[in-house]
Amino acid sequence: MTHHEPDPLVIAGREFRSRLVTGTGKYDSFETMRDAVVASGCELVTVAVRRIDFEAPAEDITAFLPEDVLLLPNTSGAETAEEAVRAARLARAGGLPDWIKLEVIPDPRYLLPDPVETLRAAETLVEEGFTVLPYVLPDPVLQKRLEAVGCSTVMPLAAPIGSGRGLKLKDSIRIMVEQAEVPLVVDAGLGSPSHAAESMELGADAVLVNTAIARAGDPVVMARAFRLAVEAGREAYRAGLMEEQAEAEASSPLAGTL
Amino acid sequence: MTVSVNGRQHELGRGETLAELLERLGVQARYALVERNGEPVEKSRYAEVVLESGDELVVARPVAGG
Repeated sequence: MTHHEPDPLVIAGREFRSRLVTGTGKYDSFETMRDAVVASGCELVTVAVRRIDFEAPAEDITAFLPEDVLLLPNTSGAETAEEAVRAARLARAGGLPDWIKLEVIPDPRYLLPDPVETLRAAETLVEEGFTVLPYVLPDPVLQKRLEAVGCSTVMPLAAPIGSGRGLKLKDSIRIMVEQAEVPLVVDAGLGSPSHAAESMELGADAVLVNTAIARAGDPVVMARAFRLAVEAGREAYRAGLMEEQAEAEASSPLAGTL
Repeated sequence: MTVSVNGRQHELGRGETLAELLERLGVQARYALVERNGEPVEKSRYAEVVLESGDELVVARPVAGG
């Protein structure tokens, strides 16, 4: 490995220079969102799909996103596999990419995804030619099942969506990293750049961040901070971290002390 | 002749296409996503789909989300 060796994230055959994926929700304005997306360096951004309210005209979010960013529609709002499949089909038919962030969430309090419905929907969507990126609990067995049906990533949560609590389920995510056959993206619950760096040091292939950037004091500066943290964490992982020691080990020579 | 759009009734001219209705409703988003009677409609067909009385349409679009 050299300093300048390319290290792209590859999802379904498509290369991304950035290992940071961002969400577009919760910003105070589309202008701030656009500036944060640019500052983050990310090349993959999530959007939701909702009915148009003809009584309340709103601006078109896609007009604010850089041309070279790939839109990743999500299935948020779906509580069953059928609802998720419906959202994905609607998005693709209407001209959005056939990449889909699959989320099936029946629980409004912790917003935890339903593994059974997610697997069912994933199977259908892969069969229909979608590139499927499922959002899941950090379950290494479910990961294998999703890989087996042809998902292009597996995206375990670090902590509940929007909680900012960091890698609360680190041990399970570590197992998933070890056995991953498609890119592992830590998605949801990261609250700070250090959480993102920690995920990358652990060997995650990418992280997905929304609230921690959008709700920061200055979202644009925070977007850059996350970009740097993701790069630092990735470099650290590639470099190989030192082994932890139970006791101190002097950094200075023990011989010849004055 | 009426169709339902996102649960509200709209009067239509005979032979009106989906593209014409969207334009009349002021939908200029780069991506208008349409479901007709429960089936997604390919964007490339908006101009050729002639609406029929009683059609139920869902018109959606991308919005901010995580």
